[in-house]
Amino acid sequence: MLLVDDEVEFASTLAERLQIRGFDAKAVFCAEEALDMVRSEPPDVVLLDLKMPGMSGVEVLKTIKKISPSCAVILLTGHGSEQCAAEWAADGAADYAIKPSEIETLVAKIDRANEKRPT
Amino acid sequence: MLKDEGHNGLVQKILSCYRKLIHPAASSISTTSLSKDRDTSLKIRIFLLIGTLAGVPLMMIMILSYLSLQGAVKEDFNNQLRGNIESTRQSVEFFIDERISALRFLAAANSFGQLSDEKYLNDIFIKFKREFGELVDLGLIDSKGMQLSYSGPYSLQGKNYSNQDWFNEVAVRGVYVSEVFMGYRKIPHFAIAVKKELPERGTFCILRATIDMVTLNRYVSIVNLKSKDDAFIINQQGILQTQSRYHGNVLEKIAIEIPHPKEEVVLSEVRQNGSTPLIFGYTSIKKSPWILGMTVASTAQSKILDLLTRDMASVYLAVFLIFLGIIANIKISIGLVNWIREAEREREEAIAQTQHSGRLASIGRLGAGVAHEINNPLAIINEKAGLMKDILLMSKDAHIDKEKFIGLIQAIADSVTRCKTITQRLLGFARRMDVRHEEIDLNDTIREVIEFLDKEILYRNIRLETRLKEDLPRIISDKGQLQQVFLNIINNAIDAVEDGGQIMVSTELRNPDRIRVSINDNGQGIAKEKIKHIFEPFYTTKERGKGTGLGLSITYGIVDRLGGSIQVESEVGAGTTFHVELPIRAEAP
Repeated sequence: MLLVDDEVEFASTLAERLQIRGFDAKAVFCAEEALDMVRSEPPDVVLLDLKMPGMSGVEVLKTIKKISPSCAVILLTGHGSEQCAAEWAADGAADYAIKPSEIETLVAKIDRANEKRPT
Repeated sequence: MLKDEGHNGLVQKILSCYRKLIHPAASSISTTSLSKDRDTSLKIRIFLLIGTLAGVPLMMIMILSYLSLQGAVKEDFNNQLRGNIESTRQSVEFFIDERISALRFLAAANSFGQLSDEKYLNDIFIKFKREFGELVDLGLIDSKGMQLSYSGPYSLQGKNYSNQDWFNEVAVRGVYVSEVFMGYRKIPHFAIAVKKELPERGTFCILRATIDMVTLNRYVSIVNLKSKDDAFIINQQGILQTQSRYHGNVLEKIAIEIPHPKEEVVLSEVRQNGSTPLIFGYTSIKKSPWILGMTVASTAQSKILDLLTRDMASVYLAVFLIFLGIIANIKISIGLVNWIREAEREREEAIAQTQHSGRLASIGRLGAGVAHEINNPLAIINEKAGLMKDILLMSKDAHIDKEKFIGLIQAIADSVTRCKTITQRLLGFARRMDVRHEEIDLNDTIREVIEFLDKEILYRNIRLETRLKEDLPRIISDKGQLQQVFLNIINNAIDAVEDGGQIMVSTELRNPDRIRVSINDNGQGIAKEKIKHIFEPFYTTKERGKGTGLGLSITYGIVDRLGGSIQVESEVGAGTTFHVELPIRAEAP
């Protein structure tokens, strides 16, 4: 799975914690890098930060879905609401998580997204 | 994402907002006394302006009417005086004429011989006196001035008048009327003499009668109707011939200068030193050396005053009306100034209201910016602490006190969770939300919220009363958000009241397109200086940790987005009322 966030400390720490829990997690720190990764070896699940310099999270989401429709994308956001969630779902997001969130919650969401993932 | 400069800019903006809000409040204390002074001077100015506007034309009308009235009154007054003098003169002249005619008849009807016979003359005198009571004596004088016969109280037999003026005058003119002199018993008299020609002897004789002034006095005094008026007869030198009320006794000289008398009546204004001005009218009396004079101790001006003051009721009415006018003027001035002040106050309130909402919006934006910035480091802290916990749990090193470290890490995680709650609510306060539009029954919405709070209300023995007006129109709004609004406000009310307190929720139709929901509690109330802060984020009166201070600011934001307004009335110790006004059709922001 792939972790995309411009906050290096956050992304790398979260990746490490996910690895401890048995996920093959890899962290990248910008949108371009993430898209390159998706093109070269499409991951099952992408954890994507909504706010990054350069490309916006929603655009990255759409591009990922175009490159690899089978990829499940979970959005990481500072805040969320039902309305926003509905829009994101329409754009192809599998789920969203509010930062900061409990690792257990996140793991559960990843598992669920992975199960539901279209093959 | 906001850069550092952005933060500084926002902070500056907030600070300036605060300054603007605090500044007018601080300066308003000093301006109240100033504005009171200004109000008073404004009142005086308006009073003077209205007074001038009403008073000047009124004054002009009064002056003009006074002038024309004065002209008319003066003419009328003078005519009246002239008429009085004229008629009195006629009476006096008639009186003299009558006596002259009688004497002439006496002279013509009796022979010289009869008249010179004292016994015969005495007989005539007695008969005449019966007709003309004022006759004092009667005598015959020959052409040389010798008294031939006499009938009367004096003994004038043999007296010679040849060198006296009157004798010469009657010899030349045929008739003579004398000036008044003091005669018998100190009664003023005058004499009439007529000439009787004696052609058979080629000489003449003179018949002379003395007449007292009683009748003439009566004729003259008949016109003395008013207490301050006076009528009298004087001679050419100004010596009084009749008794005068104010100008002296008989044979005294009057103080008024007498110009040359004329046939017609002459009127002049006489100003004696130290007394009221007089109108003096006079005319000469024919066939006599006399002048008839009349004084009236009032002028046309004082006559007008008399005329006006005669009817005291109208004077009182005029004074009352002027008084009423002044009162009305004062009322109008005060009313106008109060009206201006009220308008000014309303304008200031509107400005303050706008500033208040502007400030809330700024604070909201600042809060959201801060929340965004804090959220990322918070996430990092959360993950780092989580990783520490992970590592600790996996480690097999028995030297370290695992339990204690895990406790510490858990404390970090709990604090992060607390921070997260705040940032989430802050972001919720400021974020742009799509308002859902659905048709809802406001009363039902409120009932649902109350149902949700039922347990706590029951537990704390609070009496919650509802006065929901039935038949309210259904409104187009966002039900979920409205529920949050009422939940927040009613929750606050529950927190505000003591156990067993009272809360009242009521709805009413404010006007055809607005509904008002009022939530009233009898709790401790909010102090005046606190009320203006209650909608600000992080402002809380609750205990530490019990409230985030975001509830009411979120409520405010929602109501604002739904096109409504929210007001608070509160009195410390008596309770608080929140009024939420909602449009029947929420406008899309």
